[in-house]
Amino acid sequence: MTALGLMHAIERQPFAVAIARSSWLFPFFETAHVLALTLVVGSVAMMDLRLLGIGHRERRVSELTASLLPRTWAAFAVAASCGLLLFSSRAVTYYENIPFRIKMCCLGLAALNMLFFHGVIERDVASWDEGAPPLRARIAGGVSLLLWVTIVATGRWIGFTT
Amino acid sequence: MMQHLSDWLAATWLSQRFARSNWFVPAVQSVHILAIALVLALLFTLHLRLLGVTRGGPPPPRLAAGYLPWVWRGLGVLLITGVLLTITEPARELLDICFRVKMLLVLTLVALTGVLQAGWRRSPDYWSASRRRRHLGGAVAIGSLLLCVCIVVAGRLIAYV
Repeated sequence: MTALGLMHAIERQPFAVAIARSSWLFPFFETAHVLALTLVVGSVAMMDLRLLGIGHRERRVSELTASLLPRTWAAFAVAASCGLLLFSSRAVTYYENIPFRIKMCCLGLAALNMLFFHGVIERDVASWDEGAPPLRARIAGGVSLLLWVTIVATGRWIGFTT
Repeated sequence: MMQHLSDWLAATWLSQRFARSNWFVPAVQSVHILAIALVLALLFTLHLRLLGVTRGGPPPPRLAAGYLPWVWRGLGVLLITGVLLTITEPARELLDICFRVKMLLVLTLVALTGVLQAGWRRSPDYWSASRRRRHLGGAVAIGSLLLCVCIVVAGRLIAYV
């Protein structure tokens, strides 16, 4: 089965058809998606700005991360679930949409950046937890911020190009 | 009156210049959404701390001292981008019931945020000085959280109503 064939198959699923045909399901899931995404982006931005040494300088990086991560993940779960449902209702259209593809690439890169930060850079956080983060942590924070800004912008652009 | 204002705005050179551009509305909306994200994250963090849902870290008065200036700056960005979007598509905003509801909710949120800040300016212990003040502060926090959610919902529904 080709990728396009898979997209057509997804669109034909009962839940996808229901969302596409309903006058309120798409707006409902899109609103939930946007709400959850603003919470994700806002929380991520708070952590990234701390890594860049711009905000929360009086708080330890590990403490800020521990306090923000649970709700960031919860909001991301909601955003991703709603996003998948929205995608399913117009899978072919979104699959062929350039801003959507860029958004998905950026999401993947943001995930890799996060894994690298938590798996590698954060290992020695005890040595820089209270002071200015090292260059590698600042780069990770800056890259993350840039990626999430791009995710929001391309997400908005999808609505103008479909 | 709103119809007249909308028609007048739509006829201005600025409105037509912005509306002709392919990138202006998506770009300004993106900045608007990013500002919403930051304001929401700061307010959620502050209010969840005030309600005692999250613990650890600085006490609410110190959090507020650090966060609220950025909340006000974020609201300033939202006002500027909101005005630009209204100039570009006046009918879509000014004549839409969801937009009017959103503005009412935003004004209420601004008022509640101001009430909280005024209390902390009087004294860092203002909202924890008595049982009554703790309950009042909690009510303001819950109200603010609900308003944040409703504002985002109303904002999104502008596109559909």
